Amino acid sequence: MSSVTLAHERPGVAQALTRFLDGVGDLRQLELLRIAIGPIVILHLWPFLQRSLDGIAYSDRFFQPYVSWYPEAPREVYFVLLWLAVVSAVALSAGAATRLAAVYTAAFVAYNLFLSQLNFVHNRAFLCLLLVGLTLVPVGRRFSVDSLLRRRAGAPNLGSEGRLWPILLLRFEIVCVFVLSGLSKLIDPDWWGGTVIMLRFVDGRAEAEASGVPVWLLDVVVTDGFNSAFAKLAVLTELAIGIGLIFKRTRLGALWLEVGFHVAIEVVFSVQVFSYAALAAMVIWITPSARDRLVIVCGDARRTRLARVAVRWLDWTGRFVVSEGEPNGRPLTLVDRDGRSSSGRTAGLFVLTRLPVLFPFVAPLYGAELLAARLRRRRRPRAAAGDE
Amino acid sequence: MSVRYRARAGGRSVGWWARRVVVLSVVAAQVFAATWAYDIPNKVFGWQMFNASSDWQAEIVRVTATGDRHDVRDPWPGGYRWEGLVLGRGLDRPFARAHASAGLDSTFDFLQKALDWVAINTPRDTETVRLEATVTYWDNGRGPFTRTFTSSGRSEQRP
Repeated sequence: MSSVTLAHERPGVAQALTRFLDGVGDLRQLELLRIAIGPIVILHLWPFLQRSLDGIAYSDRFFQPYVSWYPEAPREVYFVLLWLAVVSAVALSAGAATRLAAVYTAAFVAYNLFLSQLNFVHNRAFLCLLLVGLTLVPVGRRFSVDSLLRRRAGAPNLGSEGRLWPILLLRFEIVCVFVLSGLSKLIDPDWWGGTVIMLRFVDGRAEAEASGVPVWLLDVVVTDGFNSAFAKLAVLTELAIGIGLIFKRTRLGALWLEVGFHVAIEVVFSVQVFSYAALAAMVIWITPSARDRLVIVCGDARRTRLARVAVRWLDWTGRFVVSEGEPNGRPLTLVDRDGRSSSGRTAGLFVLTRLPVLFPFVAPLYGAELLAARLRRRRRPRAAAGDE
Repeated sequence: MSVRYRARAGGRSVGWWARRVVVLSVVAAQVFAATWAYDIPNKVFGWQMFNASSDWQAEIVRVTATGDRHDVRDPWPGGYRWEGLVLGRGLDRPFARAHASAGLDSTFDFLQKALDWVAINTPRDTETVRLEATVTYWDNGRGPFTRTFTSSGRSEQRP
């Protein structure tokens, strides 16, 4: 059995779980989450910061602890801890004293979340889970002040290897968010029937009209038929994302759906930091293995140059190694991690789908390309049979 | 660099067990929270987002020992103001009809707790014996319905 065949073998669920529980992998993709999460933390703390500027602490207004023994910081101490969280969030994004910054930011966000039952909203809980996840993996070894200082001091690069079990937990929580949210709506007749969503649209109609949304569109949006269909679409989308993320074959499609889903709910409903955190957290689904795909570019055609530049500048998660091919070779060849190679349009689109910033735009084209290729493969045997 | 798998040939390390215990604990806690969320008003870690489109508004009064009822928006002994005592979840602006952001159960739960908290934390007010909120609500468009919430008595709270 060749090594390529071995690579194609699909591991069972138990094997995959064991790999995540005991394995280590390259987690450089989480550096992107680390960079993005600092501003998201500050955005989430913004209401608390505004109150602190007015001299209002949690204990100055109605608050409701979960348990009586929960430590309640005196107001001045709380203000100091709160503003320190801003400093640590900035440090976390910059990658300065990264481990300390990650631990403090996660600790304060968790402390604040559980300080009062009033503070609990799901987007804050989701952010808190991501932060706790970041304390369990090495982040700050690339694109960071820490790595810069190490380089300047002549210290060796620490590498991005880390344990995979925190990734397993974060993936589990992300799946739970979508599946449980979708499930709760699926079994609620008011949600599934469209009542909940229609009332939201009716509530927001005046605001939408004032912001220039055409009246005819708003008339359609508030009809029973539209909302009944739209609610089902929304619920099934959430479930499709949650379930689609679990399986490797459907993951890319689920991630693409997720981008659209978050953009849509942020535009229509404004969901505090949930969309930003969830979009940043999409990197958790990237295979923890870096530089294991070879892109061979040949010639000097415009398209080739563009591919070279795109990969060199936009491959933020370190998927590819770019290599120069022979002058008269194919303009672009991709050798995947399982040893399979492809070239031309399919290879180009594959590469572009793995560049985070281009993924939302290129993924549908790549999907269409794969579908077309499958149809071509199906037609070929039939045509051959017809010839006989 | 590919994903590597480290395993000992014989025996299980403490780390091996610790990882399994942590992962299983988180999974069990999440399953518990998801199930429990259907029974509690605030759905903590139940991931039931946008669960309703219900509205509510409330008239809140102070009831004195003589039985007089004073709107909390009127001058309050001790100089208190409702919006100076309660903040968040729309509880500081209960007088106009508004969306119950995390559902009616959650709003009612917090309103009851807010009434109790205010009753205890207004020591300069020597007149009021309890607070009452008359809530009008629309449950996903159905209604209006009315419900009354009463704070715990203040007399037993006073020193």
